[in-house]
Parts: sequence; C-alpha cells; structure tokens
Amino acid sequence: MKRKLILFLILFLFFLLQTAVLPFIPALWAVPNLLLIFVVSIAFMQGTTEGMTTGFLAGLLVDLTYGRIPGFTMVVYMYLGYWNGRYARIYFDEDVKVPLLLVTVSDFVYSIIYYVAYFLLRGRTNFGGYLVGVILPEIVSTLIFTLILYHLIYRINHSMVEVEKKGKQSLWIRD
Amino acid sequence: MKRKVHISMKSNHMLAVMTIVAVGVILGVFTSSRIAEPVRSAVGSVVAPIQNGINTIGGQLSTQFSGFQNVQKLSAENKELKSQIADLKEKNNALAQSSDELTRLEKLYDLDQEYPQYAKVGAEVISKDPGNWFSTFVVNKGSDDGIKVDMNVMAQGGLIGIVTRVGKTWAQVRAIIDDDSNVSAMAASTSEPCMVTGDLLGMDEGKIKFYGLRDSDNAIIEGASIVTSNISNKYLPGLLIGYVSDISIDSNNLTKSGTIIPVASFRSLREVLILTDLKQTEENSK
Repeated sequence: MKRKLILFLILFLFFLLQTAVLPFIPALWAVPNLLLIFVVSIAFMQGTTEGMTTGFLAGLLVDLTYGRIPGFTMVVYMYLGYWNGRYARIYFDEDVKVPLLLVTVSDFVYSIIYYVAYFLLRGRTNFGGYLVGVILPEIVSTLIFTLILYHLIYRINHSMVEVEKKGKQSLWIRD
Repeated sequence: MKRKVHISMKSNHMLAVMTIVAVGVILGVFTSSRIAEPVRSAVGSVVAPIQNGINTIGGQLSTQFSGFQNVQKLSAENKELKSQIADLKEKNNALAQSSDELTRLEKLYDLDQEYPQYAKVGAEVISKDPGNWFSTFVVNKGSDDGIKVDMNVMAQGGLIGIVTRVGKTWAQVRAIIDDDSNVSAMAASTSEPCMVTGDLLGMDEGKIKFYGLRDSDNAIIEGASIVTSNISNKYLPGLLIGYVSDISIDSNNLTKSGTIIPVASFRSLREVLILTDLKQTEENSK
C-alpha cells in the first residue's frame, strides 16, 4: 500500500514536471511524455494489473485537467499499461533496452491514436507533416528522458518491492 | 487484528471492467457536463496552486540551465545572434513601417479610444497542455478574480486566446495558435471579414492561417494588420491579431487566404492580460 502511494506521488510529480516545468524550458524542442514513461516502466516491472491501474490514473490526471474528450487519455493509457504489462515476464534487471523499445512503440501508438481522434477526424489529412513535425520530435525527447528516468523509477520501485517481499516472508510484521 | 479482504480478479477481466467504466464516463460527460464540471473544477483547484509553486521553481531552473551552457555553444550562439540582429534590423524596419501604418489605422478606427476602455486583469501562465498537439494553457487567476468563460486574453499587445474554462483560482485559455481555434477577424484597412485559424504544422514558424477574405481591390498586402471582427460574438472588436505574412487568391477567384504572423509570441509566454469585458451580444444581454 505504502509503495503504491509513493508511486502515485511520483506519478503526480511527473505530471507537474510535464505541464508546469518542461514546457517553459526553451531549449527543449518537444515536451517529453513523462506520464507515458512512468506507465510503461511500472507496467514492465510490475505486470498487467499495476500497468493498467497506473495508466488509468495517469490518464485520469490528464483528462481532469487538460482533457478534450474526458476519458480518452484514460482508456488509451490504460490499454498501453496493460499491453506493456504483458512484457513483464521478460523483465529481470535494470537494463534499459527493452523499456526504450516499449516506450518508442507506446508513444508512437499513442500519437497515432491521438492524431486520428483529434486531427484526422477534423479533416487534417497531412499525416506525413504531423509525423515529422510533431510525433517524431516527441518520441525523441521522450526517449532521452526515458534514459534518465527509467533507472530512477527502477531504483525506487525495486527497493520498495524488496521491503514488501521481506514483509510478506516475516511471520510477525504483517498488516 | 484487521483482516484484509482480497478481491482477486484476472487482469484482463479487470481491463474489461475498467474499459466499461471509462466508456461510461465518456458517455456520461457527453450527455451532461453537470456531473463532470464540479469534479474537474475541484481537481483544478488542487492542482493549480501546486503548479503555480512548482512553476516558479521551473522558471529559476531554466535560467540556471542556460547559465551552464558551455563556451562553444555560446560562441556558436553569438554567430547566430549576429545574423539574427541583421535579420531583426530588417524586421524592425518593416515593423516600423507597419507601426506607422498601424497608428494611422488606429486613428481611423478609433482603436486608441477603444483599447484603454477595456478593463484588464494581469495573470501568469502556470502550466501548459501536456502534449505537443494543442496550445492551451492555465493561468493563475480564476472566478475569484472575476474571470469568466469567453473573456479575451491578450499579451505583448496582441490577442493571444480566449478563456475556455474557469475554476476558483485558475482559468484555462485556448491560444489562437491552437489547431482548434477559430477567430472571426477582419482586415483593419478594408473591414472585410475573414476567419483566422490555428495551425499546428505552422506553429514552428509561428504562423497561423486565415481564409475567406474578400479583397477585390488587392488592398491587402504583406504586413497588413488583421484585427478581431466586430461581428464576432466572442471576441471584442478591434484587437490586433497579427500581420499578413503571405496572401494568395483561392481557386474560387473570390476570396483570399494565407498566413499571419501573430503579434504575441507563444513560446516565451509567461504573463498575459485578461480583458474582463465580455462582448455584449443579444444572447448575453438577455
């Protein structure tokens, strides 16, 4: 429970960084999708159930503050969390290669869905322009931030999982 | 001892249940916004002050950040800046010309009388849309400061957007460069109406689009100013939007379209002015 609460606080911190700090740094060409990094990382480390719950909460934060169609981000992040959670079986250490791949694919899928829902349906058919002008810059900046943040998320989550495991093994400390 | 109730459910079943919940939320919100608005407003009231605080840290951070840039980068930047200065000098000349034109037109349109008439409230931008697709932002003034939906927002002397949602301490603004934004505008010199829309793909160059402008005398040329129209039902009349950057005739041979360079720069946006006068329309005054 404690671990989940701390993870939620980190999620909230990522949300604040993504909306209130990073967009104001002029050197950054595109705002990275930190929430997606978090959802993918947690899903990859903890599996489908936690992946989709994290996705659900991340999407809820976006939808309640900036969402255009309420529930849209919630559903997309939830499915991405679930899908990434299926790869938890190949997770064993803090190697960043698989998460990088998952983040790339997830951000791409998310962007495509976003493009179709908000732009293609309004008659913006120039997909190539959006791919080069919006989607790829975002994926690149998200990947760079994955390199920085994945280890951090891993360390925090891993240390708390260890504590949880010990708590479960002990006969006395049980809640 | 407290006993814990464990609800064990397969994750794919849970996914299905949560999908139904989410779709329910979407449908519920579409059918009546009365359910969702209080929740969103409450969440906004919690989030906005935190964002406000963290944003000031972010501001300091970004100034620190630029201090760390190394000498090589600085010398490259120096070169770039020098070319920029030349560029800017040129632009300055062009702007001086258009500002002369503007002062003339302002007199013509009594803008100098109309602008100060509007009551304004200053506000600070505290957060922006989390994606790279839309240009909405939140400011740190809300209904407590008298902000209402549909109030016009200005910055750096030009129109920047319109308030779309209001909480107690925050207000959400949709910028005119937002891909979803449509502003009813007109050419300042001829008063011919046109529409100004945001364009995501033109955003990098800082340009927005306009279309549907009738200009049979070819009076509108590059540098002509575009202001908000007096027939708009949301925007106050005569607010400067920007200057025509290029213009071409449409295939229907009747109207013209092209791009505008907005007066206000969006990337560096931190402070805005909210005009607290709402446009008086028949609907509003009833």
